[in-house]
Amino acid sequence: MPPLHIGLLGAGGIARAHLPGWLELGARVSVHTQDGSGEKLAGEYAELGHDVTAVPTLDDLLADCRAVDICTPTPTHRELALAAVAAGKHVVCEKPLALTVPDAEEIAAAADAAGVRLHPAHVVRYFPAYAAMRDAVVRGELGPLAVLRFTRGGARPQWAPWFGDPTQSGGVIMDLMVHDIDIARWVAGDVVRVHAHTRGSERATGAPADVVTATAVLTHASGAISHVSGLWGLPDQQFRTTFRIAGADGLLRHDSTAVPGFRITAQGVRAANEGIPSSPMTESPYLTELREFAASWDDGAVRPRVSARDGTEAVRIARAAVESSRTGRAVELRPLGTETGEAVR
Amino acid sequence: MKVAVLSFAHVHAAAYLGLLRDMPGVEVLGSDPDTGLAAPGETRGRAFAEELGVPYADTYEEAFAWRPDAVIVCSENSRHRPLVERAAAHGVDVLCEKPLATTVADGEAMVAACRAAGVRLAVAFPVRFSPAYAAVKRAVAAGETGRVLTVSGANNGHMPTRARRWFADPDLAGGGALMDHTVHIADLLDDLFAARAVEVYAQTNNLLYADEVAAETSGLVTVVYDNGTVATIDCSWSHPRSHPAWGGLELTLVGEHATLEMDAFDQKLHGHSERHGRPLEIPFGVDLDARMLRAFLFGPEPDGMDVADGAGGLRTLRIVAAGYESARTGAAVPVT
Repeated sequence: MPPLHIGLLGAGGIARAHLPGWLELGARVSVHTQDGSGEKLAGEYAELGHDVTAVPTLDDLLADCRAVDICTPTPTHRELALAAVAAGKHVVCEKPLALTVPDAEEIAAAADAAGVRLHPAHVVRYFPAYAAMRDAVVRGELGPLAVLRFTRGGARPQWAPWFGDPTQSGGVIMDLMVHDIDIARWVAGDVVRVHAHTRGSERATGAPADVVTATAVLTHASGAISHVSGLWGLPDQQFRTTFRIAGADGLLRHDSTAVPGFRITAQGVRAANEGIPSSPMTESPYLTELREFAASWDDGAVRPRVSARDGTEAVRIARAAVESSRTGRAVELRPLGTETGEAVR
Repeated sequence: MKVAVLSFAHVHAAAYLGLLRDMPGVEVLGSDPDTGLAAPGETRGRAFAEELGVPYADTYEEAFAWRPDAVIVCSENSRHRPLVERAAAHGVDVLCEKPLATTVADGEAMVAACRAAGVRLAVAFPVRFSPAYAAVKRAVAAGETGRVLTVSGANNGHMPTRARRWFADPDLAGGGALMDHTVHIADLLDDLFAARAVEVYAQTNNLLYADEVAAETSGLVTVVYDNGTVATIDCSWSHPRSHPAWGGLELTLVGEHATLEMDAFDQKLHGHSERHGRPLEIPFGVDLDARMLRAFLFGPEPDGMDVADGAGGLRTLRIVAAGYESARTGAAVPVT
């Protein structure tokens, strides 16, 4: 069998997190970008002996690969995903799937109609602490869930200016909080009501104090309630995620900074904050994620733990949070079924 | 200084009686005649006082006839008002357990009665005496945080009904976790900001202890202040009963220039007890109840912290009342 051939769109932070995963899976990778950064990325990897090639056009990329991995800024997702689907390729798409619900649904419907897989890359489901928590919940360790809290915060992303423009990134809710919105729904089920506030400078000014933070309360169809908060903070804000899940039979809590496994306690200078989060004591969650996605292309029985609908629902809830933030009112979402993508273990 | 503790209904009565018993310059007397609503097995009245080794009065009349300089009201939440009004009628300063009352109307009447009688009405919010909170307050006051954008607070604990059943009886408690636990963090923010709550959004459920109590056992309360700060408070009784700690109180403040975190009860040794077959926690932090009682009886602490007054207690109660309305309607509710 010829090696898996992946078409990678984008060469930024998340592309650099995905690329080693694809190579680990034995894939050869074609990279396309519009700004020449694809050539640089391909060059770096080719020099190390990896089969990574830059291709000049999207059509070149679509001509031969099995699947397209969209790691570009959010506003480009729709057009690129629809092109990939039209070419009959499976699609891995960085979160959020799209900036708006209609766009997300259009992508999902097109993939469905074309008979290709669509994998919104909600990678937090593959971070071992979150996967272990969900397993415990599914096993019934905590009993029926009642109240959940999630936090996610770090330095405001400076490596790409589009993050700081809410019209492009959707702001801190669509780009950052969407992770925990997805996890809250994965763990506690569909969401019927959302209330949120966003505070601080939604549009990055480049000034030193350029903090933006959002807080949301989600009401699940089960009656469970979730508090989700997201922070793009000061330059020295250490990246950190936490959760606390309380059910009738128990409690689980996690703080990513409390259990690093390994830490440098002095190195003479203060280290820069990391960009793309990782889970350094375990297999890369990006690799786990991509392996599960790719496995589903050869075996229809493999259903990755993130479905296309999970991606559209995350966008729907995040949009509701953005709307609530803007209007000050709670937003009601229509109740949906509870079926969801489920990983094969 | 003579101090009477009126009613032992609240779980804090034991701590107050013990602290006052041991406090130099203080004479303490307990009285707990209204025990008809206590659950079977709850130790109350004279037996409770004797266990703690404090003198006891069979009636409130007797307690007031003892001519206390101050009283502490530890009755069930909905029964605070008659005892506070009685203290006012006797011209005695009063420290009332939180929440001040279960209705805004009761709270207003209590504040008015004490004001008219010229007695001091204080409300028992011990967490404002936490050194961790003092550090937060200093940082905010010094401008180190800049404008505070959001506050995330959690005041989680055991459901207190095992010690005192009435905590989940809406008639006596005024509700469940939302009534019990929202006010501590609301009081800290009342003290921290020269700002007033303008809007509340709350969602609650009773998925914890669903078969045991009818009151809400979980709640998330979002409060918008007129300085723009948005605070979200987890007031749930979500600390498992078998956990060695009753619960705790944590705050994260996101300011424009700094992000702060405090935990009022993290000063503990952690270990494991073979004897009890469970994790062991040994607190070593300062006793917040003791600091609160000293401030009430002898004036503000060296760091300037004083007890919350009745007006402050009423403001936090208004937030809770709006929270209940919001939980009922599913919409954000203005604070009146």
